[in-house]
Amino acid sequence: MLCAILATPEALASKRDYAQLFVVEPYLELKTGPGRGYPVTQVVARGEAVDVLFRRTDYFKVRTERGVEGWVAAVDLLKAQYADGSNFSIDLGDRNGFRTHDWEMGVFAGDFDGASLVSGYVARSLNDNMKVELTGSQYIGDQRSGYMLEVGLAQVFAPEWRWSPYVTIGGGIFRVQKDLQRPNLVDRNDETAYIGLGVRYYLTRRFFVRAEGKERVIFTSRNDNEELTEWKVGLAFFF
Amino acid sequence: MESRTRVLLLTRALVAATLLTFSLSGCAWIKGIFAKKETAEQEQVAREQTEEEEDNAAAPRVIDPEVERREIKRPAIDTENFEIGAYYGSMSVEDFASNPVYGVKAAYHVTEDFFFEANYGKTKLGTTSFELLNPGVDPLNLGTGRPFTYYSLSLGYNFLPGEAFVGRKLALNSAFYVSGGLGSVRYAGEDKFALNFGAGYRILPTDWLTVYIDVQDRVYNSDIFGTTKLTNNLEARIGVTAFF
Repeated sequence: MLCAILATPEALASKRDYAQLFVVEPYLELKTGPGRGYPVTQVVARGEAVDVLFRRTDYFKVRTERGVEGWVAAVDLLKAQYADGSNFSIDLGDRNGFRTHDWEMGVFAGDFDGASLVSGYVARSLNDNMKVELTGSQYIGDQRSGYMLEVGLAQVFAPEWRWSPYVTIGGGIFRVQKDLQRPNLVDRNDETAYIGLGVRYYLTRRFFVRAEGKERVIFTSRNDNEELTEWKVGLAFFF
Repeated sequence: MESRTRVLLLTRALVAATLLTFSLSGCAWIKGIFAKKETAEQEQVAREQTEEEEDNAAAPRVIDPEVERREIKRPAIDTENFEIGAYYGSMSVEDFASNPVYGVKAAYHVTEDFFFEANYGKTKLGTTSFELLNPGVDPLNLGTGRPFTYYSLSLGYNFLPGEAFVGRKLALNSAFYVSGGLGSVRYAGEDKFALNFGAGYRILPTDWLTVYIDVQDRVYNSDIFGTTKLTNNLEARIGVTAFF
């Protein structure tokens, strides 16, 4: 039973069409695992081909013509070629990737009107400058605690700069879990909208730092709306 | 004298006429030779064409002279950096004894060294000494089922990656890791900002399946007994995740 379960993905995988690459350098090293700490146990000679099964971080699982499987570092596999002699190319997660990428994710910590703020986000790039962001946040204060879930747009002015400023605008739901000043709050869900200014700084590999301030309006069901300021800094990555 | 001159002129005229005749007839003769050659070539081509047509009618051509370029397929390479799974263990909440904990985990491996991880877990608060001595009293207002939930967003670092040898023939990839992050805990109707840090050991029976053991300390300020104090809440767990 266990064997059957373990074998299933391989069985499914064997039906797939894999990219085939030919070794152009004198040899290609195969490691036992996806990392620099794993030993090299096999090599593939020049002229031989490997099937690329899948990628994990910057390593590729490959299978040789003789059926031997192993892991190859992305930098090594970049030197291999397709059967027509064209070069193999992939995104390496470097400074160019900081400018052009599809997805971003990150975690923030900050301050929201005196409350602690924990927040996570995922963003999809429409192009190098424009991103659509989904952000989930929790604010935890002595007086008030709750959640926010928002969708917004971020415009990065110069994505090629290491220090890269951006503006952001969006809105969503503002949920109050606890409010000591209004213990009998009936309507706990309000709408919110924000405008913000921030900067992103490329660290290394796929990582960057984001810091931003937001001016937020909460459209309460009471007589007056609330205007609150939010500051946060976070670590993010792109892929 | 006059007659000699006349004879000479007549002779020259005759010679000229003879030469002209020869030259004209020669051109025609040469032309005739070429014409014959052309006709022969045309006949040859016609014969070949007829033969070819006959061949075509008889059997399909074995060799196709038109060389087609080989098309190289470049299938997209599957990226397996996401990890999702569940865990079970024991959590000691300060002042509330230890209880079973279970939860879900999602992770993204950014590089071979670093990964982001999100956890959401749930446990039950045990009884305090005060409640033991005063049965039936719930002064802390912990709610039905006395739930304690938490979530955390952490950054992890793999160190000591290597292989674990199980028997003589099997070597499984493994890694020790440390992780730390932030999040919150919720109990007695209150949310508390929490920091967490810990370490774990991960082993991969296959390329896509992970089994791990992990210990985390969740630190937060508790004021449930009237005074604010920093509490350490240890959690030990075993979990299974799948890469996709």
